[in-house]
Amino acid sequence: MTRRTSKSARALLRGPIVLSAPLHPIFVHFTIALTAASFALDLVGRVLGQSANGPSTGPAALWALGAAVIVTVGTLVTGVLSRMRAPVGNGPAHSYLRVHMALGPLFFGLLLVAFTWRCGLYNSVSVVPWSYLVLVAAVCAIMTVQGYLGGELVYRFGTAVEGRYRALPIEHPGPRPCRPLVSMVAVEPDRA
Amino acid sequence: MSSPGEYGCGGTRPSVTPFIGITGYQWLLILAAVQAALLMPDAFVGHYRSGFTLRAQYVPFVTGTLLVLSAIAAAVVPHTPVVTRIAVIAGSLALASGVVGAGYHHWYGIATKPGGYHWLLHHLMHHAPPLAPLALSTAGALEILAVLGISGTAEIWGTSIRVLALTVVGIALVGAAMQAGLLHYRGAYNNAAMYFPVVVLPLAAAGVFWNAGASHNATVHVIASSLLWIAFAGGFFGAGMHLRGMDRQMGGLYMGVAAILDAPPAGAPLLIAALSASGLIAMELL
Repeated sequence: MTRRTSKSARALLRGPIVLSAPLHPIFVHFTIALTAASFALDLVGRVLGQSANGPSTGPAALWALGAAVIVTVGTLVTGVLSRMRAPVGNGPAHSYLRVHMALGPLFFGLLLVAFTWRCGLYNSVSVVPWSYLVLVAAVCAIMTVQGYLGGELVYRFGTAVEGRYRALPIEHPGPRPCRPLVSMVAVEPDRA
Repeated sequence: MSSPGEYGCGGTRPSVTPFIGITGYQWLLILAAVQAALLMPDAFVGHYRSGFTLRAQYVPFVTGTLLVLSAIAAAVVPHTPVVTRIAVIAGSLALASGVVGAGYHHWYGIATKPGGYHWLLHHLMHHAPPLAPLALSTAGALEILAVLGISGTAEIWGTSIRVLALTVVGIALVGAAMQAGLLHYRGAYNNAAMYFPVVVLPLAAAGVFWNAGASHNATVHVIASSLLWIAFAGGFFGAGMHLRGMDRQMGGLYMGVAAILDAPPAGAPLLIAALSASGLIAMELL
């Protein structure tokens, strides 16, 4: 009875739709695209001498940054949930993961600072100041480091992927020996 | 948000400036709700760890939930008398329960523990955090001030709402620095980033008090707001470091509740960010 209750509670928590894919890598792309687009739009606006609330780039940059703030909440939450499901032992993968986790909230905090600043510029008729662009460039730099660390975790260490994907149908010319599975702990190619 | 220069010497400060269409008092209410929402999970973890041995350990969740609901309602419909009255009551309850909670933490965390005051540092570090309940009082005080401001009260005992809000934020920042200093001392300052709250928060508090006393000085305004922005961003940095600290436990976050129970409090640095945001709102919008 207790077992059945806990099973149904778990099913209730999981929701009506069960997604087999991890959600964190899905959210991440929106965060990256929207933040980078906002920076690029403001930079173009600055170079072209358009005002912060100018005819085209200004509002687009502001809305892109606002959307990035909203989406990044999902990115952070799904990131923590992904970590809670990923059994990563001590080793290089865990070191990468710890830095990735430490930088995530810092990125979000700076994104909030940038968004608040950008909202303050909304009614400004002057161009976006360089100091603001430097801040958003720093945010983008942290985002790049995050992307690199996340990429390493998935593509190099196979975190949340190894053993969970369906193999692509590849035609082999003949029988070939099975490649041993690389553990997430024994990660470095030279050791493997 | 207006630039600091606009309020130069002799300038007049607008009574309530909106930001993204929301007035300063409404922002204060939202931030009070955020603070209460952030402190409740940490309080739950701490009280769960001690086994909820006292019924009083449930109180912060009752008053905290009331505060969150009433503050959001007051922010959404700010000029409804019933809602504002309930918000003042909820704020007062949170304020009182925080003070009483601090007394409980002192009594059960130090006074009645073996060794009592002779083992003061040990008890301060390893038992109920002495200043943590006052975070609820801070949220309650900010809610009351915001609701009074919305109702049209400009001053209380001859002091403006703005100065009172800044004073509350300044005192809370000092308390947060002391609590963080104590708990980071328990953590042996094993990471240089652990010095951040004990250095930046007192400076930010000093800036806030200075600004409260010299609101028309543009230089003071820039210094104080810069320090608060640093504290704000630092709060998020701290949240990341606390997450990292959770993951440093045996098995990391994969162990779920076990890692969370033994790890640094996840919401505490974000509470500092919310406090700093309250200070910025009081300085810029009130």
